[in-house]
Amino acid sequence: MSDRTTIILLLLPALLVIGVLFFGGLLIGVMRSFNYMPVIGLTTPNLDAYAAVFADPEFYWSFLLTFHIAFTSTVISAVIAIAAALLLRRSFVGRGLISFLFQLNLTVPHLVGAIGILYLFSQSGSFARLAAEMGLITRPGDFPAMVFDPYAIGIILQYIWKEVPFIGVIVLANMQSIGHDYEAVARSLGASRWQAFRHVLLPLIFPGVLSASVMVFAFTFGAYEIPAVLGANYPATLPVLAYRSYTDVDLAARPEAMAMAVVIAVLSAIMIAIYIRATRRGIRS
Amino acid sequence: MTRVAITNLSKTYPGAATPSLDSLSLEIPSGEMTALLGPSGCGKTTTMKMIAGLLEPSGGDVTFDGRSILRDKPEDRGVVMVFQNYLLFPYMSVAENVGFGLRMRKVPKAQIAGRVARMLALVQLPDLGNRKPSELSGGEQQRVALARALIVEPKVLLLDEPLSNLDAHLRLEMRDLIRGLQKQLGITTIFVTHDQEEAVVLADRVALILDGQLRQYDRADQFYKRPANEAVARFFGGQNFVRGRSENGMFQSVLGPMILPDGVARGAGTLTCRPEAIRIGAAPVNALSALVMDRLYMGTQTRLRLRVGETDLEAVLSPDVVDGIAPGQTIQISLPPQSLWVMT
Amino acid sequence: MQREPLAIRSIQVISGLVLIVWLVLPLIPLAIWSFARGWRFPSLLPQAWSLKAWEYTLSDTAGVLDSLWLTIWIAVCATLLSILIGVPAGRALGMHKFRGKALVEMIILAPVIVPGIAVALGIHSVFIGLGLTNTVIGVVLVHLIPTLPYMTLVMAGIFANYDPAFEQQARSLGASPLRTFWHVTLPAIMPGIIVGGLFAFLVSWSQYVLTLLIGGGRVVTLPLLLFNFVSSGRNDITGAIAMIYILPGVLILILTARQLSGRSGAVGGFGRL
Repeated sequence: MSDRTTIILLLLPALLVIGVLFFGGLLIGVMRSFNYMPVIGLTTPNLDAYAAVFADPEFYWSFLLTFHIAFTSTVISAVIAIAAALLLRRSFVGRGLISFLFQLNLTVPHLVGAIGILYLFSQSGSFARLAAEMGLITRPGDFPAMVFDPYAIGIILQYIWKEVPFIGVIVLANMQSIGHDYEAVARSLGASRWQAFRHVLLPLIFPGVLSASVMVFAFTFGAYEIPAVLGANYPATLPVLAYRSYTDVDLAARPEAMAMAVVIAVLSAIMIAIYIRATRRGIRS
Repeated sequence: MTRVAITNLSKTYPGAATPSLDSLSLEIPSGEMTALLGPSGCGKTTTMKMIAGLLEPSGGDVTFDGRSILRDKPEDRGVVMVFQNYLLFPYMSVAENVGFGLRMRKVPKAQIAGRVARMLALVQLPDLGNRKPSELSGGEQQRVALARALIVEPKVLLLDEPLSNLDAHLRLEMRDLIRGLQKQLGITTIFVTHDQEEAVVLADRVALILDGQLRQYDRADQFYKRPANEAVARFFGGQNFVRGRSENGMFQSVLGPMILPDGVARGAGTLTCRPEAIRIGAAPVNALSALVMDRLYMGTQTRLRLRVGETDLEAVLSPDVVDGIAPGQTIQISLPPQSLWVMT
Repeated sequence: MQREPLAIRSIQVISGLVLIVWLVLPLIPLAIWSFARGWRFPSLLPQAWSLKAWEYTLSDTAGVLDSLWLTIWIAVCATLLSILIGVPAGRALGMHKFRGKALVEMIILAPVIVPGIAVALGIHSVFIGLGLTNTVIGVVLVHLIPTLPYMTLVMAGIFANYDPAFEQQARSLGASPLRTFWHVTLPAIMPGIIVGGLFAFLVSWSQYVLTLLIGGGRVVTLPLLLFNFVSSGRNDITGAIAMIYILPGVLILILTARQLSGRSGAVGGFGRL
């Protein structure tokens, strides 16, 4: 058996499964979004679904909200994760505990985190009770809305809770393989503590931070269950909106749901392109 | 020009039972090149990092021209350390790497460019400024690392194993470059190495550290001619050790009386003679007759294992001298008086 | 490094403490709720404690246990299929260089990044025609979308550090290809398969939207049940189910803590839990 045949045989099952399920699913979605379904007699593709989606103001609010959630969560998570990794790479009391909690947090499903945030930050949640105890509020309604709110604070908090450990673990591993010597060189060449971080460590970990952040952005942009638990009804995030349209009693809404799914897919495709460039750069340096 | 004094410098890492460095004291004359020599793990890199301010000593002091620097931040000490694996910043060009220290000091850009170009010319890499470090050979990376260190005009330069990552022919070239630059700029330089040859070819003075303690601090040739003790002699390839007594310029031992050079202290001690100092053939003094046990051809040299009575000796000779000598033969040898030394 | 100034050290200690509290905080009300009996605003702690929620959750009638077994069954099936398909693919990617490798990597990586909902709608309309919607088989298949790439990438990492000379040595000593695989290759990659498999299990264990769409609400795994209870405001039962739901992750963490350090590349898949 030649090498080429071996490689093809080894890869075939995986490519088949991913090709049929993932790319097949994607393709069917795209076709249906264009109202093109030869099986049921729709043979002339059109843009009706997209026209309907783009004519609906809710779609724009939804897109903006989803982008705001993904962008804000990713940036805040990445910044805190870098700081946490800086903290965790030096020895101090409690480092072992934090590392363990980071890892524990990685295994907790997002849905559980979302419910936890709900019970903490809702208007009758733990923090509202604490505020009442301190005499700051008298009724639940006095507590600022942090879940089901238009700014999606609760959703962002839950993403920060989950993604800081995710990015943090990757950045920490990155920092550990870089070691302290590059910064030592910079310090001995006259860089201050901050300059050594800014001009030496940060550029070295940047590819890792970027690729982890891209994964986080794509995930937070397309996740369903977290905004479903913590989000407001209007505007809902794009995945929630897509799911709602798809399960609408009116089957005519399905192509619109597919069109929204395509929007989500296109955005994540852009993310993949950035991810690949980031990892390439990472490998080269 | 800066005189460096290290007094009782010690380091015990947290959790370690024994100190990595135990009360080291050294005076390094201004403008000289000093080697800290020792096997890996003997505390020499620890010493360098403490001088550079990258590690905090457990005890002792380091002074530059009499002023303690231990409270100064690493970036304010005027000490630059060049690491063994060079550690050029991979995402910066060669010129950016060399200019790094100036940029940290907020030197104007135009000025940096000129100084970088001059420095690259000094290390004989004038046209490589735009390359990335990954496109350079090991020797070129070494030069860039050196240029990056020298451009900030340090008071003290620290080099970690400066020649050990290079091939044999590059080592000579780099040795000349480092020696030349160091003499030309007059920077007090300390380097660490585990390789006695590297120490000897590069340094004015060598400090030999074994087991965290300074064993001998001397001009390089003295380690061959006058080692302080058997451990030092062995580290420098010494082989022949005979116990006995030194009295009135003579050494009494199982080999019989041997004439010593002037200046050897009296009393009980160990006689040593470098393998390459042993002569073959009849001689008026210090002559012995030896049984050839084994001969080992080593290219440019031949090593003979000899036995005199119950004592084993090793001699290293040029191949033409030992022509025709075979194991089992008894030959005449001599230990020239000026090559002998007695350690107490 | 030199000792930090006191100010920096105290900032470190304080931020360490804040981090510890923040990391456990969301799990605390869940644990308390599962033992609470009436916990009305504005009490900081429940008025009374009870095991009612746990009794209900663990009773045969509530359906939580059925759902637990179903979730385990689906995750085990998805994991085993992923191992079966992912190990060979990982070998090809980890040990061989070939034309189009970057493309293959991208194809396998894509499902890790593209959100499930973007493809699940299309799959659903195909599965309707195949009769796979609302079935366990359909759910297992759709779970392969996140688990298989993950398993493949972990195995590619394992095989990249694996020296094929061992196999050549075994062959030259007279072992057949099959025996070589069984006695030489498999023992060498076993730790990777176990760790990758445990994490693939967790990835399937955490799926929500794929199960919801393809299972059509008929295949009720633990997260679907959890979602139902949180929507209906039964905080005590929600707390109890949530505790059960995070248990496998904790167990797997204890079993594999060393592998989670991030350097292994295994962490990549956890962004999607």
